[in-house]
Amino acid sequence: MIALIGLVAGVVLGFVLEPTVPLWLQPYLPIAIVAALDAMFGGVRARLEGIFDEKVFVVSFVSNTIIAALIVFLGDQLGVGSQLSTGVVVVLGIRIFSNAAAIRRKLFGA
Amino acid sequence: MSGPERAPGPDEAHSPAEPAKASGASGAGPARGWRRPDASMSLLSDLFAGKVLDPGYTEAAARRAAEGAAPAPRRGRLGGAGVLFVLTLVGVLVAVTGAEVRRSEPVAAEQRSRLVHEIRARTGESDELQRRLDRLRAETERARAVALARSTAGRHAREDLAAAGAAAAATPASGPAFVVTLDDAPRPGRDGRGAEDGRVYDQDLQILVNGLWAAGATAIGVNGQRLTATTAIRTAGEAILVDYRPLTGPYEVTALGDAGAVRDAFRDSAADRRLRLLEDRYRIRYETRRADRVRLPAAGALQPRYARPQEQGDGQDGGNGDGGGQ
Repeated sequence: MIALIGLVAGVVLGFVLEPTVPLWLQPYLPIAIVAALDAMFGGVRARLEGIFDEKVFVVSFVSNTIIAALIVFLGDQLGVGSQLSTGVVVVLGIRIFSNAAAIRRKLFGA
Repeated sequence: MSGPERAPGPDEAHSPAEPAKASGASGAGPARGWRRPDASMSLLSDLFAGKVLDPGYTEAAARRAAEGAAPAPRRGRLGGAGVLFVLTLVGVLVAVTGAEVRRSEPVAAEQRSRLVHEIRARTGESDELQRRLDRLRAETERARAVALARSTAGRHAREDLAAAGAAAAATPASGPAFVVTLDDAPRPGRDGRGAEDGRVYDQDLQILVNGLWAAGATAIGVNGQRLTATTAIRTAGEAILVDYRPLTGPYEVTALGDAGAVRDAFRDSAADRRLRLLEDRYRIRYETRRADRVRLPAAGALQPRYARPQEQGDGQDGGNGDGGGQ
């Protein structure tokens, strides 16, 4: 419940405030979102498995986002930014899908 | 985090059965007190074993179990504030990115329309500059005429200048004209000749223009383009270039001057005979007519070849550079 409230509040906040993203930060936004989605699905799965831990959730979210952004930043400096972001998206995407599959199994038993 | 409490053998770390064992332990959790040495490198094996959950959760659960705490506290010390914070952040991220994406589409269109605007503005600007140039030229002309009209020497210089300017096609000219029109033969030659034979070539135009000069024309233009004494008429590919600008038929050669005299002089000249022959043999179009009042523009930028700009402080009669020199 808290999670849903937070999500809705965040979306509303984002649309109301409409903060302008500085140009140097823009390439990292999609990556940060994918990392955040990964942390979210991990959290939901842990919750369903009964081992959710808030500290782990917060720390994994923050570190995932930062590390994903760092990898992309490093790739940009090396001239392979798009390839590295693809790599990050693939790895995190795999995790998101398998976490989603686990959630599905828990929820629907299928 | 915590060091390995039971160091596994080096071969054990790579055994294929190992990840399965680990994933089995991750489900129920309590008996996971040790770590593989390559735990941080096992993305693919974890993937194939279906153990993709962030190991942090199972580790924390195991730690709690070891401490004898409740097996699954939903909220920690943060009391849900952390979850709220993180998810708010996620929401803001999603919203901002969505807004950003939506904003960047109009930005591209906006940039394009700005470019179009800029092109139009620059074109207008250059038109305006051209007009200003014309105005200033006329003004200079007037000022020069006034300055030269003060003395007899000046008047002589002005006459020389006017004659030189007219001869060099540096000034627009107008008056009655004798107009010759040439065009390619109609495409399928009526008497079986190919279209290649019925074309007007640069030589034909050259001969015509030279004949008109010889007949006493004072100024000649081809399709409205003024010819100077040095203008080139030549072929490039299939097009005839006059002053390096391509023209398409029909070619209308306008010869300013006393139209009747020019016509009389031109009739039965070598050029006239040649063009008549071409008309008879190849069916190119060859027509002449008189026009009462035709205006020809000045020729394009003239490059003085022998005239040099005079040094400063030389007084009023220094502006003779554009007339072709004295």
